[in-house]
Amino acid sequence: MMLRQRENPDSFKAGVYSVLVHTLLLGALLISFNWKTTHPISIAQVELWDSVAVEEHKPAPVPEPFPEPMPVEKEIPKPEPVVAPEEKPAPKVEIAIEKKPVKKEPVKKEEPPKPVAKANDALAQLQEEARQEALKNKSVTKSNTNDALKRLQQESLNEDKAAGEQKASAASAGVVDEFKAKIQAKIRSNVNKTLCGNGNPELKFEIGLIPTGELSGAPKLIKSSGNAACDDAVERAIRMSEPLPLPQDASLFTQFRNLKLTFKPNES
Amino acid sequence: MNASSDMSFFTLIAGASLPVQLVMLILVITSLFSWWYIFIKVATIKRAEKDAEQFEETFWTGGDLNKLYESVTAGRRKPQGMASIFEAGFKEYIKHKQQARMEVSDVMEGARRAMRAAYNREMDDMDAHLPFLASVGSVSPYIGLFGTVWGIMNAFRGLSNVAQATLTQVAPGIAEALVATAIGLFAAIPAVIAYNRFASSVDRLSVRYESFMEEFTNILQRKS
Repeated sequence: MMLRQRENPDSFKAGVYSVLVHTLLLGALLISFNWKTTHPISIAQVELWDSVAVEEHKPAPVPEPFPEPMPVEKEIPKPEPVVAPEEKPAPKVEIAIEKKPVKKEPVKKEEPPKPVAKANDALAQLQEEARQEALKNKSVTKSNTNDALKRLQQESLNEDKAAGEQKASAASAGVVDEFKAKIQAKIRSNVNKTLCGNGNPELKFEIGLIPTGELSGAPKLIKSSGNAACDDAVERAIRMSEPLPLPQDASLFTQFRNLKLTFKPNES
Repeated sequence: MNASSDMSFFTLIAGASLPVQLVMLILVITSLFSWWYIFIKVATIKRAEKDAEQFEETFWTGGDLNKLYESVTAGRRKPQGMASIFEAGFKEYIKHKQQARMEVSDVMEGARRAMRAAYNREMDDMDAHLPFLASVGSVSPYIGLFGTVWGIMNAFRGLSNVAQATLTQVAPGIAEALVATAIGLFAAIPAVIAYNRFASSVDRLSVRYESFMEEFTNILQRKS
């Protein structure tokens, strides 16, 4: 009885402390466990957005080609041959839906125009037998003119795009080079130079990166230094350097997906 | 089964079989209790040491024993630790003194017995919960190990049905099972450390009490 009375002032506080200790430990455990599991998911998202964003330049010429397929005879048969090649670019799912009418011209241009027109005609014949003859002539001529128009459009579009890309690459080339140098410097700082002997060995590695700056696979040795210990040292340094520095701009990442790096460990 | 995304702490616990989960539950409760006792013990021992310090200081400054007795019994609280030993011994001594025609040796014997009883009570208070901590420290790793063995047995039994045995088929089960050992160790390690610390603190306190008893007996003997 006396024993219990004595402990009362402390026991509540002690119970709170005890629960606190356990919550702290559980929290620490949860943080350390969850950190790894959620990581890969975010990577997948980043890559998806990246590819979509680049494609989004194309819908610019939307309104022009729209009136072209207006002729009633052609409207029904046309989409069928077009849709199939359209779906080739896999990652554009979202855009493909709204672009279906738009993208007809680039697709058509790549293919020889005649077979498309002929296929259209065959279908048209089946559907509308009465106007067979007239339609045949019409559609052939029309598809020819359409093709000429589309070719022009496509060319101008390509030029625009090329110009834009050039501008962008001119601006970003400096950044890319800078980050390549940073990557190389970071790896070099981790190389154990004593393993590479006295000479001036040179070795090349190909590494794959993911957008977080981590390696997507094992670094591949392209050109050995002739000294296995040195090769190993550099490979270890590459692994140690994770995560590698990457530019903030996600659109530049494509330049870093596969890197070929040359190392001269003994060169200061 | 995607091994990397399924290995979070909660899925490991939730995926374990019922006996393993029971073992984990027992261990978590044990751990909670042992930490509770640890904190209680830390507070009691600290207080007892402080009280002993204070009492020894006032006792050896050489005041009047009657005054000291009054001040000890005047407090609202029951005297604790060394003070309670002093109180029991001095009370017994006064009682015997008031009865005339008592032999000195009998008076001393009575006071000594009273002090011994108070000392035992104090020690009992100090020792409380220590056996619990000791058994948690020694047994909970075994309980955790039992859970682990059970879980691994299950994981391997699942292998017997498949033609091609791969690591991915047993790895999750083993990871689940190992959580039980981890919890067991988590309960055991602090309990063992705390037990050793408290045992030595209690030993030192008891030595202090005993030497005080001897010295106080001498003082009483001189007085009578």
